[in-house]
Amino acid sequence: MDKRSILAVALAVVSGILIGPVFAQEVKQEAKSISGKAKISSVSQDQLNKADSNANNFLLTNGNYAQTRFHPARQIGRNNVKNLHVAWIFQTEVKESLETSPIVINGIMYVTTSFSHVYALDAKTGAEIWHYKHKMGPVTTYCCGPNNRGVQVLGDLVYLATLDAKLVALNAKTGDVVWQSDIADPELGYSETMAPTVIKDKVLIGTNGGEYGIRGFLKAYDAKTGKLLWTFNTVPESSVGVWATKDATGRDMHRDIQAEKDQLAKAGDPYQKLGGGVWQNPAIDLATNRLYFVVGNPSPDLDGSNRPGDNLYTDSLVSIDLETGKYVCHLQYIAHDVWDLDAVSPPVLVDVKGKDGKVIPGVIHAGKTGHIYVHDRKDCSLIRFSQAMVPQENMWVLPTKEGARMLPGANGGVEWSPIATDPGQGLAYAINLHQPMTYHVENSPYPNGKLWLGGAFKVIPGEAQAGNITAVDYNTGKIKWQVKTPQPMIGGILATAGGLVFTGEGNGKFAAYDSSSGKELWNFRAGAGVNAPPSTYMVDGKQYVVVGAGGNTQVDFRRGNNIIAFSLN
Amino acid sequence: MSGKLSACIFGIVGFFIVLDVCATPLNAQSIEEKVQVCAGCHGQNGKPVDKTIPVIWGQQQGYLYIQLRDFKRGDRKNDIMQPIVSSIERADMLAIAEYFSKKPWPDLGQPRAPKEVANRALRANASVGCTGCHLDQFQGDGTVPRLAGMSRDYMTKTISDFRSRARGNNPGMSDLMLATAPDDLAALTEYLAGL
Repeated sequence: MDKRSILAVALAVVSGILIGPVFAQEVKQEAKSISGKAKISSVSQDQLNKADSNANNFLLTNGNYAQTRFHPARQIGRNNVKNLHVAWIFQTEVKESLETSPIVINGIMYVTTSFSHVYALDAKTGAEIWHYKHKMGPVTTYCCGPNNRGVQVLGDLVYLATLDAKLVALNAKTGDVVWQSDIADPELGYSETMAPTVIKDKVLIGTNGGEYGIRGFLKAYDAKTGKLLWTFNTVPESSVGVWATKDATGRDMHRDIQAEKDQLAKAGDPYQKLGGGVWQNPAIDLATNRLYFVVGNPSPDLDGSNRPGDNLYTDSLVSIDLETGKYVCHLQYIAHDVWDLDAVSPPVLVDVKGKDGKVIPGVIHAGKTGHIYVHDRKDCSLIRFSQAMVPQENMWVLPTKEGARMLPGANGGVEWSPIATDPGQGLAYAINLHQPMTYHVENSPYPNGKLWLGGAFKVIPGEAQAGNITAVDYNTGKIKWQVKTPQPMIGGILATAGGLVFTGEGNGKFAAYDSSSGKELWNFRAGAGVNAPPSTYMVDGKQYVVVGAGGNTQVDFRRGNNIIAFSLN
Repeated sequence: MSGKLSACIFGIVGFFIVLDVCATPLNAQSIEEKVQVCAGCHGQNGKPVDKTIPVIWGQQQGYLYIQLRDFKRGDRKNDIMQPIVSSIERADMLAIAEYFSKKPWPDLGQPRAPKEVANRALRANASVGCTGCHLDQFQGDGTVPRLAGMSRDYMTKTISDFRSRARGNNPGMSDLMLATAPDDLAALTEYLAGL
């Protein structure tokens, strides 16, 4: 029998086999377990609005709607932090990359893990109250690990966004699913790792997918029903912009504008598959009802030949109206990015000195470029940018087939890691990566939701990597202090009224530093990478600091499954 | 054609691929009957009949589904798979993918890589970041395949096909393979096969 005959038979067999009753669709059941009883209280919008002055709780992913990650608790201070010890350790079921931001509400802690698990814990003892294990759909398409960075709570509902691009509302008391909505199609490269932001009647959520040719968005859902209220597309139908030749700091980006214009004339605006994910929470100005968030890289990451123009609003700070989702203003850091040095760390609202020295409402963002950018909140305009927190070399050399060396590497600078601020000192605290890389370009057409890098960025073997913790005076742009770390840093940082900052490293070190000087005052070895943002809270008059130690996929730090809470004697 | 195909068919495809399509009722109802044709190449016990054929037992469901989808769309080319999947609908693809994903991964008995090869592979991984998608221990997840313990010859062929873009359904992988030195890829293949 020849090959064609065999194939014909095989085909006939399979065709016959598969015609007939469609297989029963699996009924998706979310698994959860309840193993403890605790008094779980609801959260009011008024409490969330005043989160910045609530020393007992850690109510929002980044502390408060301004996302300062500055907590008013001061029981643990510079003089006694040396006495900090483990209060409890909770081991999750999932030993994989851990990026969760614990939130704490009246003695109850909510944490998440990779693969979209949620735990409610007794914040005093670490005892498990319930565990929600999302039944993942078969198709997930995600970059940089199966991470989840946290949940938000309003009223009696806990909001979670999942790796298979669903928005889920859980009963805060039981972990039962109250409603679930599809955010986008994971088969096209959409996924969720960020914590939702909930405010008033809305749940706000962005999307991953800038490595897969998505069209990014920030969406608002009805908090009670899960119904979509509005969508802001992070890439407008006219994405061309002003043909900027320099980045926000004034450096030439070596664009071939004529070639781009020729491509635009030939193929039109590339907005439909231009990427522009939103990886982290928006900051919310409660006085003006405006959101401020940053938009990630264009697709494909390294090949700009098929996407002429500035690729608006990728690599930008964007402000929109909370009620309508309508555009207010933006500032693009890098037009037509071909290095994936995009904008991912969540913006922070603080008062800043304007160019004339007067104090005005500002918004700051720490970039993968290694700069902290300081903006006027009114119109998004750039007031200043900080000294570079990491080495910069050869910017902006264009990627080549053989690979062009440039610093920072494609992870930054500051990755998704949230910064902290101390408004009283006018300081912003950022953790940075230093990873020398080569940037390689290749050309390929849109691959239907598959990985679409347009090349590769490669860590240069043999070149030393490092990290640092940097305090920047955002009113001058000058670095006040910097602590070098042996490995690149990814995770997050917390500042407290006790004059401290807390942050962790990939080697398992978790430490407290004097927030004015950077002097190390205490440390602990967790045994797995501490690559998650810390939180702090109080129960029965005692202050705790909590952090996840589970390592990281993106930078491949040692995995673990621990949520560790610390307190004084 | 109706009724039952009562004979086993053995044939030689190309130079070495043995296709073994055994007796299968056309109106098969159970998933076991429906996937029997797959065993002809991918193995009755999960061990493929040829080393250039991938392990599908224990592979990630999302990955298997996407490959079936791409064969049907023509995004991935293969003279055997494309005709077989041409009439399969999405729900069936998902069910077939789920069936194989729940099977145990077979031990192909491939040797562990020598230390110097493993070290080279791990350096290459640290440079290009394979585990950023294939995850810790190269187990894969969702639409990203498990590589640990995959047939060495299949991986060698696949990498070659990615580099030449003969395999066109994941240009991102082509880009990454082109950016990685052939010697590093050879070390990675040997290392992964032995996991």
